[in-house]
Amino acid sequence: MHTLYDLFKVKGYSRRDFLKFATLTAAALGLPPSMFAQFVHALETKPKPVVIWLEFQDCAGCSESFIRSTTVMPTEVLLDFISLEYHETLMAPAGERAEESKREAIEKYKGKYILVVEGSTTPKGVYCTVGGRSNYELLKEAAKDAGAIIAVGSCACWGGVPKAEPNPTGAVPLYEALGGKTVVNIPGCPPIGDVMVATVVHFLALGKLPPLDNLGRPKTFYGQTIHDRCYRRAFYNAGKFAGSFDDEGARNGYCLYKLGCKGPITRNACATIRWNGGLSFPIQSGHPCFGCAEPDFWDRGFIYRPLPVVETGFGLKKVAAGIAIGAAAGAGIAWVNKKLKGGK
Amino acid sequence: MIDVKAYDFVRGPLLEFALYFFFAGMTYRFVRVIFLGLPKDYAKPKGNPLAKAVEKIALKPTQGWRFFIEVFAHRGIQYVGGFLFHLGFLGLTFFVPQHAFLWKEIIGFELPYMPQLVADILAYSALLSLFALTVHRVFNPVLKLLTGKDEYFANFLIGTIIFTGLLAMRWSGGGVYVWIITLHMLSGAILIIYIPMSRLSHFVYYFLSVFFYGWNVGKRGVSF
Repeated sequence: MHTLYDLFKVKGYSRRDFLKFATLTAAALGLPPSMFAQFVHALETKPKPVVIWLEFQDCAGCSESFIRSTTVMPTEVLLDFISLEYHETLMAPAGERAEESKREAIEKYKGKYILVVEGSTTPKGVYCTVGGRSNYELLKEAAKDAGAIIAVGSCACWGGVPKAEPNPTGAVPLYEALGGKTVVNIPGCPPIGDVMVATVVHFLALGKLPPLDNLGRPKTFYGQTIHDRCYRRAFYNAGKFAGSFDDEGARNGYCLYKLGCKGPITRNACATIRWNGGLSFPIQSGHPCFGCAEPDFWDRGFIYRPLPVVETGFGLKKVAAGIAIGAAAGAGIAWVNKKLKGGK
Repeated sequence: MIDVKAYDFVRGPLLEFALYFFFAGMTYRFVRVIFLGLPKDYAKPKGNPLAKAVEKIALKPTQGWRFFIEVFAHRGIQYVGGFLFHLGFLGLTFFVPQHAFLWKEIIGFELPYMPQLVADILAYSALLSLFALTVHRVFNPVLKLLTGKDEYFANFLIGTIIFTGLLAMRWSGGGVYVWIITLHMLSGAILIIYIPMSRLSHFVYYFLSVFFYGWNVGKRGVSF
């Protein structure tokens, strides 16, 4: 089986290109320079990973993002590098042949293949069936002998859009459905493609998963909030905010906190790796972050409401209601007290 | 437990409940006092009650300085610490951007907000003053007798709010930030609930009680 270096050569890329990719990926993963040689050597010698990619309740946006992760790895290499034994959107076979190839891959690469899951799963009900089998059944079958399990996108990691209120299909995140198994969560709607690639490359090169936080996210990419690394942070600290999308503050590039930016509570690498080959990210293009990488972001109210306000809303009407309740209770109890004490 | 879920709970249902409780509780206290009533005073006022009431409100915060020698010199920690603490805590409650957006939602308009540097200075001075005042309470023989669990609890709560606010703004990052800001908002929500049930209700009724005091002084024609 080809190694990653072979693939670079076959596709016409030089050793310099390969080393550039390996160094960039190692740096993105936060590996110390002393490990670079080991990392490069592993990518030169180890066979490319086998990936089974399952799609459940999703929009295929994560797959789109994955195949466009061109910052570190050229697309044509990427598509060959990830030996996609099964991917409903990308594979050539269809129907019964596709299911057969998946079963073969599971059997052949027992304990070695990487299972990537996109979309939420539904342990109850018959939603999202493939080949007459429920998604939950397919998930359990593929997860049983997987070498590593990676949930990509907020739907697989947290339930995402399908789990949003009122969650009609009873969608659950992957880690809940596979309780007990280690699941690497790469959340985002979609997640950054380079983050997905780097996580897979880490597993391939070092034979283990990258360090994860308590929610199973790679610490390297999800260890800090967008706010921590936002280039507009200085404006936040200085108390300079855009009040609308076209006011003087917005034109001056001020902080978007007042326009509902969820950067302070969102852990993702958007502000560092950025999107479209490192070109930009939502805040840079003038739009507040709406926190797509955090659990239940769809249920976190209107995306343009600033973070410090009461999520359920609290205006003058509610103030008046509170005052009325207090006045009625005070007057009522005072009256009862007077009556009990025999006053008039 | 997932930190953003705790955060959502605190800034959602808990904060809403706390605000309802605050407005209802403060009104309840006021109405109960009003219903207690006062015996009718038939005496003719000897001075000008309204003028004295306004004077009292205006001069009260400066009286420590007026009686510098006999009062301030003996109770310096209380005056300096009390002044810095109140200035800092009220300034931070109303006039930092993050809180200004919250107040806008409650009162309908946005309060002006101060630069972050000023807010930082106020936060540090308020926190240190609160610490000094608490230590003073512990060691001063008279204050010690006047201090109960309520005071210590209130000081602890307010200290937590200022400290976590400072941490969130200046010192915490990454995964810790969400927990810190959640703790900040949680302690804030508990304080909002606690105010109507404690002496901290002077937060709202201070001017009213000082006005009443000044009014009585004016009525009797005496000096402060």
